[in-house]
Amino acid sequence: MSQHVLLNSIDHKDLKVITTRSAALGDNLWFSLTFPQEFRSVQAHYPIFFHKDTATGQFYSVALFGFQQNDNVFLSDQGWSASYVPLTVRRQPFLIGQQTVLEDGVERQQRVIHVDLDHPRVSESEGEALFLPYGGNTPLLDEVGEILEVIHHGLQDGQRFVDALIEYQLLESFTLDIELDNGQKNQMIGFYTINEETLAGLSADALAKLHQQGYLQAIYMTLASQSNVRDLLNLKNAQG
Amino acid sequence: MQKPITEIVIVGGGTAGWITAGLLAAEHNVDKGVLAHDPKLTITLIESPDVATIGVGEGTWPSMRSTLSKIGIDENDFIRQCDASFKQGSKFINWRTGSQSKVTDSYLHPFSLPHGHQELDLCPYWLPHAEQVSFAEAVSSQEVLTQLGLAPKAISSPQYHFQNNYGYHLNAAKFSQLLTEHCTQKLGVTHIRDHVSQIINNEQGDIDKIITKQHREISGQLFIDCTGAKSLLLGEHLQVPFLCQKSVLFNDRALAIQVPYSDANSPIASCTHSTAQPNGWIWDIGLPTRKGVGYVYSSSHTNDIDAQQTLFNYLGVDGAAADKLDPRQLTINPGYRAKCWQNNCIAIGMAAGFIEPLEASALALIEWTASTLAQQLPPNRIVMDTIAARVNERYQQHWQQIIDFLKLHYVISKREEDGYWRDHRESNSIPDSLQAMLELWRYQTPSQHDISYKEALFPAASFQYVLYGMGFNTQLPTHVKPSMQQLAQRLFNDNQQRTQALGKNLPSNRELLDKVAQYGFPKL
Repeated sequence: MSQHVLLNSIDHKDLKVITTRSAALGDNLWFSLTFPQEFRSVQAHYPIFFHKDTATGQFYSVALFGFQQNDNVFLSDQGWSASYVPLTVRRQPFLIGQQTVLEDGVERQQRVIHVDLDHPRVSESEGEALFLPYGGNTPLLDEVGEILEVIHHGLQDGQRFVDALIEYQLLESFTLDIELDNGQKNQMIGFYTINEETLAGLSADALAKLHQQGYLQAIYMTLASQSNVRDLLNLKNAQG
Repeated sequence: MQKPITEIVIVGGGTAGWITAGLLAAEHNVDKGVLAHDPKLTITLIESPDVATIGVGEGTWPSMRSTLSKIGIDENDFIRQCDASFKQGSKFINWRTGSQSKVTDSYLHPFSLPHGHQELDLCPYWLPHAEQVSFAEAVSSQEVLTQLGLAPKAISSPQYHFQNNYGYHLNAAKFSQLLTEHCTQKLGVTHIRDHVSQIINNEQGDIDKIITKQHREISGQLFIDCTGAKSLLLGEHLQVPFLCQKSVLFNDRALAIQVPYSDANSPIASCTHSTAQPNGWIWDIGLPTRKGVGYVYSSSHTNDIDAQQTLFNYLGVDGAAADKLDPRQLTINPGYRAKCWQNNCIAIGMAAGFIEPLEASALALIEWTASTLAQQLPPNRIVMDTIAARVNERYQQHWQQIIDFLKLHYVISKREEDGYWRDHRESNSIPDSLQAMLELWRYQTPSQHDISYKEALFPAASFQYVLYGMGFNTQLPTHVKPSMQQLAQRLFNDNQQRTQALGKNLPSNRELLDKVAQYGFPKL
């Protein structure tokens, strides 16, 4: 269950957020959304693939943390073992809401921070404060605001990136067959990756267009990230 | 070297003319969605501003998905621009007895083939269970799912893919418009808006050129007659005789009307409804924004006033409300030309023939003829007659099957009305081929062996769906092999499970169409 409310310094002056990473705090994720702006950091640790949202038929870039539901190989009692945690994970328990405000008599949509009061990270006793004693934002809250803005623009750009991949027929579905050292087998379906043959055959025109939009870099980051599958496998095997 | 056939002239627009133009261009002038710099064929379509299209023709078969895909039309564009909805088959209401009995008199002829059809023909194994479960429900999931008003797939399915086989209901005028734009803007088809005033032959009796009202001279090597019921080239000019089928299928009139929904969010039906009436039947097609309804009837059995009353009774309107309605009357001449291809002229669509839309065969025939022409385009004039002969042969086989199959719906009905329904069961109105099959089917179920040529329009399963939907009695098989019985049982169970799973996961038609408007189906 979730309870999203508009964050404000009156009702929520004593609210704190626990920032450690653990399964109990909702980090046991199979994958999380990511976007081209973040690829450079993400590709250092996580495989980047694409996933189709069954409710809309739309594709999203995702950073992979494991091989099945509730399986994050980076998570242990010691916390999250990689040095970079993707922004859509770090933003929890906050999200962007839209608010209509009246500015000079004109109605405008404004992005505001919402918090999920039912999220396990939200507490009155533990964790870091969101507001200063006299009502200003703590540095944590300011950082959250920035993260949410980056995610907002990043996902919009990510949508255009995926549209470009589809336009040039660069997406293809694939099945990942895993066999662990202990003999356990996993099959991941419903994910998509970049077709390297099609990529290699793109015209100079197409490549120039992709480059202009910054998507050529995103494509190569995505391809480079695939070698992280082996690291995920090693981490999974180490768990026994 | 013989002069290759490259100059194609299509006379007539509408769905026949434009689907033909699109398929010819796609097959010969386009590679991987790109029009060639120097296309092989020059395709010219002449459309008269003085002649309207028929304006109905709103149900397609599943083949339309591959036709649209071949022509290069995006499924999302098609659905949005043509007010399309998903058709999963035809539901026949009140055809069996028409009486208000305890058992609902309706059955579905679904588009999906019976479950496991590649492994086993389930029909004979269903026969012993005829009292417990209908054939369509036993072998397909569409019976249950269409009753629930569910769509044939979800938004995450790629374009033209399906969970259950489907065609479309669509707005015919908007469809012609979309095809016209696509063919002229993307496929290099030349569009001339002018009226044919003269057709000039050469010495060999082939059509050499067309002269138009505005004094254009349009030459061609192959002429395609898409002039509708007029059959200007094949029928009138080349005098190919017409084989009237009124003695078999009596309906020769239609009264058509468009009806809005009472509520913008009314459910959209998953199939065409065909409701039997005293002297014919009423079609009911649900588009997202309105319904298309029409009474198809026989002028020898009833008159236009009574027919209008029947239509209004169906719609549930009377008095002042009825006066506001203005249904459109159409005259149908049921039958087909003895050949579709004569000399260097082939007729496609109503110019070749027309029959009551009981199984929505008109668009399917257009697709068949146009794709056959595209795939078998003669390399030159010398061998054209050889190719024309085999196309004509298959054309005649298709028409014979259509006549037999449509007649089947009437022949095994037990409706008691004097005149129309009893007349349909008179043996002198029943083709010999159908009589022979009906006798055979008393002792064994319809099978692929009943059809002696390949790629028939209606597979054996269609005959099974209608025969047993109508409650026909076939003798039970006397000996059943245990291993086959086991296989059949497994397939029946699979179908049940699949039906349940799909029932939980599929959206309603309106939900899916709303998502198509918002997101569109993905390309993969």
